[in-house]
Amino acid sequence: MSTIPQSIDGEAVTTRLAMRMEDSMQAFAVRAACFIGELDVPYSEEFDGHDFGATHIIAYVGDEPVGALRVRWFQSFAMPERLAVIQRFRGHGIGQLLIERCRMLAESRGSNMLYAQVLPTDVKYWEKTGWRRLIAEEASSGAKRIVAMVRPVDPSKPLPAAEAPESIALRREAELDASGLPLGVVSN
Amino acid sequence: MTVQMTMAPNLAPVVTIKLAATSDELLQSFALRAAVFMGEQQCPYDEEFDGNDYTATHVIMYVDGEPAGTMRLRWFQSFCKFERCVVLRRYRGLGIHHEINAWCKEFARRKGYARAYLHLQKRHMPMMEKEGFRRVDDRVFNFSDHEYYAVYCDLAPVEGAVALDTPPMVVNRPEDRMDIEGILEKSAARGASNPHAPRVERLTN
Repeated sequence: MSTIPQSIDGEAVTTRLAMRMEDSMQAFAVRAACFIGELDVPYSEEFDGHDFGATHIIAYVGDEPVGALRVRWFQSFAMPERLAVIQRFRGHGIGQLLIERCRMLAESRGSNMLYAQVLPTDVKYWEKTGWRRLIAEEASSGAKRIVAMVRPVDPSKPLPAAEAPESIALRREAELDASGLPLGVVSN
Repeated sequence: MTVQMTMAPNLAPVVTIKLAATSDELLQSFALRAAVFMGEQQCPYDEEFDGNDYTATHVIMYVDGEPAGTMRLRWFQSFCKFERCVVLRRYRGLGIHHEINAWCKEFARRKGYARAYLHLQKRHMPMMEKEGFRRVDDRVFNFSDHEYYAVYCDLAPVEGAVALDTPPMVVNRPEDRMDIEGILEKSAARGASNPHAPRVERLTN
């Protein structure tokens, strides 16, 4: 299940960093299909102002863009977010492929931690793939809470116990932007 | 003493329609189409973004400031083609597709077009008949997993539609605001200094 696919129905599965306008457009289209089309997220929340300060990774089956992941960069961690795989291509591990590409990219940049905000219902899945909660379960309980999770970029180098206070890690993105400086970086 | 005003809150959504004139607005149009055609109707990316997006006019509709619908228009000699019309799922049932259709018809009329033409998913025929569209002929064709009719609608001529005798500076205005002075008319106040840079001889060596 967690094996990374080489091909689906004879079509090669590949990933690529968005380098040109059209690549970014493909990433945006995949996210719009999943988040706006399927999950009914408003446009203004999905396209939140961080898209032109981030790295976009796209997954292809043949020439068809079927998955996307946005990575934002902070001094103390790389933050994969907006993970999307088109509905009919799910169940093949394409999400894992995107996360792995993100991990390798973070490694090549000297980053040692990945940080993600996940839905409580997805925590178990992430835990199976090497992630752990940033802080103890009790502290971040509550039905609708987003759970902060981290994993080491190099699996052989586990992270120290506590990395960042949740209040900063979970600051709303609009507030990150408000000061003109990403506050999460400074206090971390 | 305080005067108490009892006013029924106006719950009607505020619908605004304009040309997608900036790259942000264009991205909004594309995102809505991806949401509906790729997200809901399983259309592959290459079919949805078919190569005609950068030779077309895009119209974007907002409901209470949030991107809610879009339409792509392409211009041929004898008709304007309406394409890629979407209303986001959460805004359906408000009847606002009529508003974007009406806006686009009016827009085409002001550009001098006498006919709107579109490829209609078969299931939407009753809806578009009410808007004055009729089938071109009895052909049924299919692409991207749907069956289509070719339909058209005659547009009544409108006074002031753009033609050769339209004042040149009116033709230069933003096309969805042709009744308001445009940015280039303001530039006319600077006069004409004809500021060509002198031609620089190239070194051939």
